[in-house]
Amino acid sequence: MPVFPSVEWFNAIREIVNSDPAFRQLGTVDASVGVKVGNKTYELTFEAFECTGVREIDESALRDLDFWLEQPYENWKDMLENIKRNGHADLSHTLNTIDLSMPEGFARSYDGYRRDAFYRFNQSLQDFFNASAKIDTEFAEPAAVA
Amino acid sequence: MANETTAIPERLAAKAQEKGWPLDLVQQALAAGAGPDQIIGYMDQGVTAEQARAFLAQAAGGGAEPSAELAAKAEAVGWPLDLVKQALAMGAPEADIMRYMDMGVTAEQARQFMSSSGAALPELDLSWMHVPTEWGTRARPTKHGLTLQAINIGRYGEVPDEWPYQTEMPRGAVPIPGVEGMGYSIFQKQEVWSDACAPLYEEAIQRRWRPATDVPWDTIAPLPDEVERAICQLCTYFSEKAQMEADAIARWEPEISYGYHEVKLYLATTIFEDARAVEVFRKRALSNGGGLGIQSPGWSFRAVIDARNFTEMVAIQMVLLDSLTLSEYAYGWKHAKNAAEELIFGRALQDKARHVAYGITHLKYTLLNRPDRREEVQRYLDKGEVMLLTDDRKDNATRPAFALTFGGGREGAGEGLAEYERMRAHFVRQYLERLKWATLDRSDRIAAGLRAYAG
Repeated sequence: MPVFPSVEWFNAIREIVNSDPAFRQLGTVDASVGVKVGNKTYELTFEAFECTGVREIDESALRDLDFWLEQPYENWKDMLENIKRNGHADLSHTLNTIDLSMPEGFARSYDGYRRDAFYRFNQSLQDFFNASAKIDTEFAEPAAVA
Repeated sequence: MANETTAIPERLAAKAQEKGWPLDLVQQALAAGAGPDQIIGYMDQGVTAEQARAFLAQAAGGGAEPSAELAAKAEAVGWPLDLVKQALAMGAPEADIMRYMDMGVTAEQARQFMSSSGAALPELDLSWMHVPTEWGTRARPTKHGLTLQAINIGRYGEVPDEWPYQTEMPRGAVPIPGVEGMGYSIFQKQEVWSDACAPLYEEAIQRRWRPATDVPWDTIAPLPDEVERAICQLCTYFSEKAQMEADAIARWEPEISYGYHEVKLYLATTIFEDARAVEVFRKRALSNGGGLGIQSPGWSFRAVIDARNFTEMVAIQMVLLDSLTLSEYAYGWKHAKNAAEELIFGRALQDKARHVAYGITHLKYTLLNRPDRREEVQRYLDKGEVMLLTDDRKDNATRPAFALTFGGGREGAGEGLAEYERMRAHFVRQYLERLKWATLDRSDRIAAGLRAYAG
């Protein structure tokens, strides 16, 4: 059972969406997206119709990405458990709602233009996380950020 | 033919002297069948004497004997030498013959083609085939398919700072003299360009959606009357805003000359997406026992329609007003009452984000290439913000409608108003961040009524 957060977990999701015609039907996605969970940081690369890569990165590399998603570990866990229960995120757990509910935002960027990729590809990104409903996830809290 | 001479009209001789074309070359071109106007046209397009001489030599086939390279290729693909000589004698350049071979044209197919072009259609003028465009172009599909970026290769990918043609001639084609102008008024790249327009066009085409069938309309259930009225009022507002943007952009489309076709194509998608927004919000208003509400005061609409240059329209519509609409769609999605509204706002949000992306990248391109326009753009935004605030003051429907929608009815209107204020702050903050990215700092200049939200 893949552990969240880990490269293995993201790769399990990647394989699901890359073989899902519904994900392709949403259209092309071109974005480098960071995911920050505690002291763990990952880069998801989307190109054309698929997620082409997942890797763990150093936090300083976030500067090079279009944007990154950041919330406390417990909130990530809550979001993914909600997705598992419903088969998809309910309205209070969508990426959009979480983004609007956090004063500093869920999608963050050093770039006022590249951050808007969060909006342009939002349905595909939501679909990516919704795909986690199809796997069983083991949760493991990463060490707190120093 | 070498000893024959052809009379050269006086104006052609004068033009040849002006452009440095020797008269023997002009005579050669006339003898090859080109008209005096046609030759003058080539000269005006900047075709040099050397290029013309090479072109005429190629058109003449360079003699009936194939080069060693051509002969070897013919042997490799099974074309008899007599067939190759026949093609050369008919005026086919060696490069074309080799290309046909590369394309897999068989000797039999070539023979049939030559025989039909010689017998059945003897009167056809095929001089157009010798057009001096860049030939041999082979664009390759990418992971995204064969995109606009993928075909922007060689001269076809060169986007000039100034486009010199008044006609609808596609970029990369060869102009002919005498074609009437098409009434374009924008011929400078800095007036319209964004490096993002080609990928945004492809993205818009790939991420399109269909309100009639994609929206799960059957998930819309009856709502309390005042909530339904509030949502219908917002749908009226969104539908009206989208129609106005479609009209505004459509007015500018025919002004943009063909040298910047990527911009024209991208703007066509924005018009279509605005049409889709008009459609989907109207459908929502009419799908649950409600109807349309009252119209908007339209002050900011007028600021867009009154724009006297393209960048002015883009700054007010696609940067300022679309940033507002983007925030409104995001909050609309957060407070959706059913799966249908979730999808409507979610997809409309994606469309709107592309409009903003074009607007802000165009603004940045203009500001970097024409720093003297910086104050001009600031003034457009001064005006747009004032008109937006005037709408706020004159509009007695939109704010309460948002409050009732966000609050779930009259009892929650207080929290709904607080959420409305957060939505405005979201808009102002992101609007300023985008402008900062475009190298325009408005944090001290933004209209007072909006500055309070800047944080």
